[in-house]
Amino acid sequence: MWTYEKRLQFPVKITKTCPKTAQLIISQYGGPDGELSASMRYLSQRYTMPVKAVGGLLTDIGTEELAHMEMICAMVYQLTRHLTVEEAKTAGFDAYYIDHTAALWPQAAAGVPYTALEFQSKGDALADLTEDLAAEQKARTVYDNLLRMITDPEVREPLKFLRAREIVHFQRFGEALEKTKEKLNEKNYYFYNPEFDKHMIIRE
Amino acid sequence: MKIQHLAMASVPIQTWGQIYDNQTALKKGTIFQELDMPFFAADDGGMSGCCCQVSDTADPNQREREEKMLQIYQVCFAADDLRLYLDTHPQDMQALDLLKSMLAQRKQLLKEFAQRFFPLTMDCMEELYQAGTGEDCYCWQEGPMPWEGACV
Repeated sequence: MWTYEKRLQFPVKITKTCPKTAQLIISQYGGPDGELSASMRYLSQRYTMPVKAVGGLLTDIGTEELAHMEMICAMVYQLTRHLTVEEAKTAGFDAYYIDHTAALWPQAAAGVPYTALEFQSKGDALADLTEDLAAEQKARTVYDNLLRMITDPEVREPLKFLRAREIVHFQRFGEALEKTKEKLNEKNYYFYNPEFDKHMIIRE
Repeated sequence: MKIQHLAMASVPIQTWGQIYDNQTALKKGTIFQELDMPFFAADDGGMSGCCCQVSDTADPNQREREEKMLQIYQVCFAADDLRLYLDTHPQDMQALDLLKSMLAQRKQLLKEFAQRFFPLTMDCMEELYQAGTGEDCYCWQEGPMPWEGACV
């Protein structure tokens, strides 16, 4: 169950139209390391996690990623809401405009549509948490790359906020991995799969 | 931290340290000073903070709304970051005490915002009806949509 709160997690107030910036930022909506992928990854992986607290953490971070997706969409929307067809033509936004006008649709910066193939839900806590650590790093790199290219402070502030969240989430997933390891045999962490061979897990 | 093992990733467990005030935490993207690790290309001479301040409006009503909304952003973000910390540190009483304080402030701020402007949650609507102040208003659609960027 989710409930909606009528606000963003961080204020987004962009006054200058810039379809080029919108086309870059949209990658964090539907791209390979985007917020939609992040949210679906964590919210898919959580059900079979062998440590209850880790399932709880995946729920909370997966929920926060939904709020980040909303921020990214708000940025794309505000960057294109007053778009003229001339601006769409000259700023490299033309191909997107043909298919979606100025509406929001999840795709990568290069136009590849959002797909669930961008993440895994492997059913093995060590494999999944290691993917989650990598996912936060990759998303952080995207924000680094965006910050190198974008100069408008109204766009940079929310991007900096989102980048900082990737680092915090990395730390939390690292702690979740440590919690999971405590339940395993430290002489051989790979002796069994804690999500499948449940009878072998070390009891609380 | 325990002994590291071959063929296994390892991240040190964070311990409770220096905390930013709520205003700074929202700008930085974390309440934890130790986790604030900016990117050099993003280090544009300090935070311009343009997103985390009220606009230059002459309208006192708009100004009051933006100020109240900004406080909501700040308190709720501190609660968000504390919650993730407590998910992996459920025994940390300092963090828990701070979360309790943030949750109480959040409830009060949301209530005041609903009474003065419009409700941000269904629970806020219910409080309006309980107080008898919003009886003939289905207030859920009031106020700008969050993505319009109008209310901070």
